[in-house]
Amino acid sequence: MSAHAPRPEGDASLTRRHALRGLLLPAAGLIGGCAAGQKSRTDITASASSVEIPEGLGTFVMNPDGTRSFKDHVLRDQDGNTLRFQSDLMKGHIFAANFMYVHCKGICQNMTTQMSLAYDLLQPIMGNPARFYSFSLAEDSPEDMKEYMIARGIYGRPGWLMLTAPREVVRDIRWGFGFFDPNEEIDQDLNGHTGMARFGNQKTDKWSACPALGSPQVIARGILGVMPVNERPQLAGIIRESDHPARRIPTAKPAT
Amino acid sequence: MRTPITPAVDRRTFVKGTALTTGAFFINSKFTTQRLADEPSSPFTTPWVQPLPFAPYATPLPSFEPLFPAVDPAMHQRYEEFAPQYFYEYPVFETTVCPHPQLAYSPRTTYCGCTPGPTLMMRYDRPALVRIKNQLPSVMTGFGSCDITTHVHNGHHPSESDGYPGYLYGPGYYNDHHYPNMLAGGDPLESKSTLWYHDHCMDFTSQNVYRGLTGFFLLFNNTDSGNENDTNPDAFRLPSGVPDGKRVRARYDIPLALMDARYDPNGFQIMDVMNMDGHLGDKYQVNGAIQPYFHVERRKYRFRILNVGPSRFYDLWLSNGMSFQHIANDGNLLPAPIEVNHVKLGVAERADIIVDFSQLPVTTTEIYLVNRAEQTNGRGPTGNTLPMGSSPKLLKLVIKPGAVLDNSRVPSILKPKPAMDLPVVRERNWHFGRSNGMWVVNGQLVDLNRCDAQITQGTAEIWNISTAGGWAHPVHMHLEEYHILSYNGKSVEGTGLGGRKDVFSLYPGDEMRIYMKFRDWLGKYVMHCHNIVHEDHAMMIRWDIVP
Repeated sequence: MSAHAPRPEGDASLTRRHALRGLLLPAAGLIGGCAAGQKSRTDITASASSVEIPEGLGTFVMNPDGTRSFKDHVLRDQDGNTLRFQSDLMKGHIFAANFMYVHCKGICQNMTTQMSLAYDLLQPIMGNPARFYSFSLAEDSPEDMKEYMIARGIYGRPGWLMLTAPREVVRDIRWGFGFFDPNEEIDQDLNGHTGMARFGNQKTDKWSACPALGSPQVIARGILGVMPVNERPQLAGIIRESDHPARRIPTAKPAT
Repeated sequence: MRTPITPAVDRRTFVKGTALTTGAFFINSKFTTQRLADEPSSPFTTPWVQPLPFAPYATPLPSFEPLFPAVDPAMHQRYEEFAPQYFYEYPVFETTVCPHPQLAYSPRTTYCGCTPGPTLMMRYDRPALVRIKNQLPSVMTGFGSCDITTHVHNGHHPSESDGYPGYLYGPGYYNDHHYPNMLAGGDPLESKSTLWYHDHCMDFTSQNVYRGLTGFFLLFNNTDSGNENDTNPDAFRLPSGVPDGKRVRARYDIPLALMDARYDPNGFQIMDVMNMDGHLGDKYQVNGAIQPYFHVERRKYRFRILNVGPSRFYDLWLSNGMSFQHIANDGNLLPAPIEVNHVKLGVAERADIIVDFSQLPVTTTEIYLVNRAEQTNGRGPTGNTLPMGSSPKLLKLVIKPGAVLDNSRVPSILKPKPAMDLPVVRERNWHFGRSNGMWVVNGQLVDLNRCDAQITQGTAEIWNISTAGGWAHPVHMHLEEYHILSYNGKSVEGTGLGGRKDVFSLYPGDEMRIYMKFRDWLGKYVMHCHNIVHEDHAMMIRWDIVP
C-alpha cells in the first residue's frame, strides 16, 4: 500500500484481539446498597491519586469528581522537555489532539494545516482557549518535530506541542482516545493511521471528535463544543451559522 | 408507583446527582470485537417490578398567553400560509431520573422535565409552533452537550425548523420550530403517523439523545384519526387512545420507545464517549423504564415501536411466537397489513404493529416482547438469531382475563404508495465507508460549510446508496422519504419495506436504489448514518434544496 493511500475498509471477520480485559472493579465503597433513590456522597471514597490505572491498552479511571485520569506516561515535546501525559497535558486542560508523524507524505501535513487554520480562527478572538497536541506515531525526535513545526509556522505558538514517546506509549494514548481498530494489522498500520482529532475538556469530562482534515471552522467548533458556554463566544460561522434561526431568551417580559 | 418521569427537582438534589453521575470505577476503554464483555456490567435489576410509563401529552399554550417575544414570521418560510393554530413552549433543562427502583437517580437532559419528552399530538392541516428554550446550565459534567437543536424525525418541515445540526444553540437561546403539518406535495397518500423528535446537535447527537432528549411526535388525519369509534366512513378505526402520563384515558395505541443503557455500580447512567463504533447498553428500557410490565385486555392493540438507539438493532418477537399485523414502517402506513411474527428495527426505525390478544388461549396470562437479534458491539448485529428462550426480554405483557368490547378494525387496505410522478432529473451515488479510521461518505468527511448536493425544488432524483466494511449503517434522510426501488438488486414489494422509508438499515456490502422527490421547502438538510455515534463522527452529507 502506498503511503497514506486511503486505507481499505475494515472487515467484519477481523481477527480478534485478546489484550488484557480489565474488569471494571468498582472503587472502594461503590456497591453498597442498591436501594432506590439518591446515594450518599460518602459512598465514593476513591480518588484519582489513590487508585492505579488498570493494565490494558487505553485504560483510564474515573474520579469521584466526574473527571477521568489516564496513565501518567512520560513524553517529550519539540524542545526536548519532559512532560507527563495526565499531570501536564490532560489535567485541567481543554485541548485538541491528533496523531501524526513528521515524515508522513499523506494526510499528516494537511491535518497540521487545518488545525493551524483553526488555531488562527480562535487565537485573535480568544487568546489561547485550548492546547493543541500532536502525538508522534513514529517515535520522531524532538529535533525533527521542531524542524517540522518551524517549516509550518507553528513553532513557538503558545500551547502547541508536538509530543513523542515510544510507540507503545502513543498507542496506549491513541486507544484511550478511542482511535483504534480491532484488527491488529490495521491498528498498527502507519499508512492508514487515524485522521481524527479528539477534543477534550478534562475539567468537565467533555469529549468529542471530528476529522482533523475537516475545515478550520469544523475543528474550531469542535474545540468550542467542549468548552463551558460562558467561556466561549458565539462565533458566527463556527458555533453559530450566519443564518441561524435561534434567538436569545429575554430576561423578562416588559411591564404591561 | 415509580416512573422515570420525574418532575423538576430542586437545585440541591440536582447538583448532588450530577456529582455522582460517573462515580468512581475503572473502565477499560480498549475496544475489541469482544469488548462488550469488558465493559462494566450494570447492577442487577429485578425485572417486571414497575409499570410501563408513558410521557404526558404536550399541552398547547392557552390562547390568552401568547409567546413572548412574539414569533418573527420573517424567520420562517410560508409562515402566513401555514399560520400556527397551536403554540407550545418546550424548556430543555436538566433533572434527575430513575429508570428502575434499584438504581439511582441520574441526571438527564430533558424536554419539559421528562424522558421521553411530552408526546406531541399533531394533526394534518393544523400547523403548530414549538418554541424550544435552552435552559441548560452552561457547564455540564460528563457526557452530553449543553448545545441543542431539535429534529422531528420523518417530519416534512422547513429547513429552519428541521433541526439541521448546524443550527445548534446554547443555553440562554431559543428556537421557534414551525411545523406546518402539511402533506408533502399536497398528496393525501403522503400522510405519516409515527414520528419522533430528538436532539440533533452536531458532534453530540448520540450523547444528548442517550442523555434523554427524545420524544414522540404523532400525526393524525381523517383516516388514521386516532379514534376507533370514528363515524367518518373514511376512518380506519385502528386501535386508539394514546396513553397520557398525567391522565388515565383509553389506552390501546401504545408508543414504545426502546433504548439500551448502561449503569455504573452506583446505579448512575454511563456512556463510553470514546467508543467510535457505537454504544451498547446492557439494560433494555421501554419508555425510559427498565423491563417494565403492561396490562393488556383481550382485544387489539396498536404498538408504535421506536428504536431510539444509540446503536442497538432489534429483531422483535412475542415470546409465544404469535403473529401480528405489521401496519406501518417508519412513519408510513403500509399499502396493506402484513401478517408477521417478528419485525426488525435498525436505529431510528419504527414499526406500528397490531396485536390481537383476544386470540390467545384463556390459559395464557403473560407474554413478553423479546429481542432475538444478537449484537456484541456497536458495529451492528452479528446476523445470528438468538433462541427464543434465551433472548433478552424487554416488556412483560400481562393478559387480563375476560372478553372485552373491541370496536377497532384493521382495514385490508391502508395507504397506497404515492405515485413516483416527478421526472427524475439526476442520479447520484453515495457510498458509506471508512477511511483512515474515519467515517466517510463518498470518501469525504462531513463539513456543514460544504453543500454535497444541490437539488432543484420540485424535481426527483434516484440515489444509489452502498456500504462496505464491517459496520451496519441505518441511512436516514431528512425532509423527504424515499421509495426503495431495489435492495441488493431485488424488489421489496409486498414486504414490510414495500412502503416508503426515511431510514433503512444497510448491512456490510448492501446496496439500495431509492427514488426521492424534493418538494415544498428550501434550505439545508442532511442525510446521515443513524447509528448516532457514527453520525457524530462525520458520517453525514449536507444537501440543499434551491429554487
